[in-house]
Amino acid sequence: MDALVAQYSRPAHQEGFADEDQQQLTADIQPPLSLKFALPPIASSQQWLRAMTDDNSNPNCPIKIAHGTTTLAFRFKGGIIVATDSRATAGNWIASQTVKKVIEINSCLLGTMAGGAADCQYWLAYLGMQCRLHELRHKRRITVCAASKILANLVYSYKGMGLSMGTMCAGVTPSEGPALYYIDSDGTRLAGNLFCVGSGQTFAYGVLDAQYNYDLSDEDALELGRRSILAATHRDAFSGGFINLYHVKEDGWVKHGFTDTNGVFWDTKLNKGEFSNVTANLD
Amino acid sequence: MYVMEVLLGITGKDFTIIAASKAAMRGASILKVNDDKTRPLNKHTLMAYSGEAGDTVQFAEYVQANVQLYSMRNSTDLTPYETASFVRSELAKSLRSRSPYTVNLLLGGYDPIKDQPQLYWIDYLASCANVPYAAHGYAQYYCLSILDKHHHPDISFEQGMKILRMCTDELKRRLPIDFKGVIVKVVTKDGVREEPYEDDKQVLAP
Amino acid sequence: MASGYDRALSVFSPDGHVFQVEYALEAVKRGTCAVAVKGTDPESQVVVLGCEKRSALKLQDTRITPSKISMVDTHVCLAFAGLNADARILVDKARLEAQSHRLTVEDPVSVEYITKYVAGVQQRYTQSGGVRPFGISTLIVGFDPGSKEARLYQTEPSGIYSAWKANAIGRSSKTVREFLERNHKDSMTRDETIELTIKSLLEVVQTGAKNIEIAIMAPGKTVEMLPGEDIEKIVEKINSEKDAQAEASASRRGGQRAAAGDAAASAQGPEQVLAQRPAGEGSGAPPE
Repeated sequence: MDALVAQYSRPAHQEGFADEDQQQLTADIQPPLSLKFALPPIASSQQWLRAMTDDNSNPNCPIKIAHGTTTLAFRFKGGIIVATDSRATAGNWIASQTVKKVIEINSCLLGTMAGGAADCQYWLAYLGMQCRLHELRHKRRITVCAASKILANLVYSYKGMGLSMGTMCAGVTPSEGPALYYIDSDGTRLAGNLFCVGSGQTFAYGVLDAQYNYDLSDEDALELGRRSILAATHRDAFSGGFINLYHVKEDGWVKHGFTDTNGVFWDTKLNKGEFSNVTANLD
Repeated sequence: MYVMEVLLGITGKDFTIIAASKAAMRGASILKVNDDKTRPLNKHTLMAYSGEAGDTVQFAEYVQANVQLYSMRNSTDLTPYETASFVRSELAKSLRSRSPYTVNLLLGGYDPIKDQPQLYWIDYLASCANVPYAAHGYAQYYCLSILDKHHHPDISFEQGMKILRMCTDELKRRLPIDFKGVIVKVVTKDGVREEPYEDDKQVLAP
Repeated sequence: MASGYDRALSVFSPDGHVFQVEYALEAVKRGTCAVAVKGTDPESQVVVLGCEKRSALKLQDTRITPSKISMVDTHVCLAFAGLNADARILVDKARLEAQSHRLTVEDPVSVEYITKYVAGVQQRYTQSGGVRPFGISTLIVGFDPGSKEARLYQTEPSGIYSAWKANAIGRSSKTVREFLERNHKDSMTRDETIELTIKSLLEVVQTGAKNIEIAIMAPGKTVEMLPGEDIEKIVEKINSEKDAQAEASASRRGGQRAAAGDAAASAQGPEQVLAQRPAGEGSGAPPE
């Protein structure tokens, strides 16, 4: 009976500006941006997920999500530098040293991956699909602004359900120039010149902030990106492996190698005399 | 964390000043130092927001789109009072839903019909109050006493800015974290404008 | 005529017609005329919308009676011909989509996007059960965000949309379109564009300035409705020019009466022929 009453009476506060057109006819022509997933039959998915995955309070938790990372991206006069490490950890266990944390959304757009690897991979691939559809519908390439907003709206619609991602969208479009956005699973979306994301962010910020300048040359910018990731891999236990370096320019991105941090580290130490706390002679 | 965000509002004879801190904080880092936590809703209304990450911008832009849709549909703008009522009812609606918006707001405006400035203080529990001056977060504890002492309803714009300076100086002196200064916007009968605001001066506690 | 094939909307007649849609086109032809002209002066492009206003009854408050020209967003404007009430619904859907687009991708809609949306809604109402198509055609004009290039599109009840330099819809649209075809030039200035719009409307509007409505869009600006006095001035100017022309041709004809023959009729121009046409009768073209 209550259900019947509820069905035919609408609470006074439900009168809205935007939601008058709910009939099937007026439903969107395009499929909704947010897909509908089946959710587990649990009262609060957030609490359940925390119980299953929180490594801090329960070291024996059944699911360990890959969290540790260092990723960075910054805007400068020659475009955008995107750099990441390549280590995937699950708890204290290094699951992989060769993860690609830069996701090539299309020839002009890059995304970075921090937080849950699966979440980032899946949703950035989905973003790639949306970008292509936008391109086909509007006959012009999507702006980084719009692409990042699609992703932000999407993760916001899953807020509190356990998504874990901190990602950056970098791209160069004719209308915007070089554009960089930070998006995380809280639903935050920020435009900016420089972002570092992940457990190693503080170490990367330290090196990057000190020498960052918008008028950096291409070579200096690439070197600064590389050096900042190296700093983070050196100090952060959850970052390491290889340095994945990209340069986004107006006519698309260019990859600048997937280099082992070990070599870069010893090169930096022995040839530039940095990392003087690490001793190289064994006696 | 968002209690560290600063929102201030001051009305005067023919203006409303809204100030919002420029830092965007996430975890251990300040991610952005020139964040704009305000959205113009229509020609004579400006909303400043603080609160849960994600919720803030989503809610502000949702409200903005609906207020602009109203203007488009009816060829007339909502007055600040009407806008505040709409915003409050949207918040009240969301408060009783499965996922409420955790957003605190200041709604500053100028009513072109009554020819007077308006300021509304709205919190995430959907309380709404029409006030001559207001603040959100920890800024309330420092600034309301200053405003209580120095504010009068008919102050000039220069006096208003002077009081705002007293507030931001006090926050710089005593707030334990750096909020990276404030963006200042002013609503008058001519609409919303950004007011240049010097805030790189260091202020030390005596 | 239709032998039952117009009973349900989503049923084809054996020769492939959807009669309800064609009836909707008929409703468009009975609507007051609307004209749109692009002025592509390379310095500053404009696009002008002109509408025929139905003459008001004595006690009607014309000041606040809704106009046939409505804003969809600050940079897009729409005029329609056909059923007023249907248009209101369609315009509202377009406005909602314009704001929704701003909300989801942060950019304002492009004129083509919103046209496609409007046409898409119209199309859906030709293929669903239990509904009737929108009895309106629309002219959608404006400037894409950040662009200085004028845009002009037309949509029809069937859901077709197309781009134009200048076009007319509604009552006698065929004559107006033919007039535009004869008189449209590339790179017209703002004033020339407004004048051509009014001139073309005068082809079908007998009562002159007080029954004409003009809206002008320029890049980066909201719509500007031309004040009644200005329209009146332009109408007067056009009329005096016409008179002078008629006089000139009359005196010329007097001089060369021998050679004139049937040239007299063509000198008079199709304008006058059209003026004899009973008002409200449409152009007489069969539905496409």
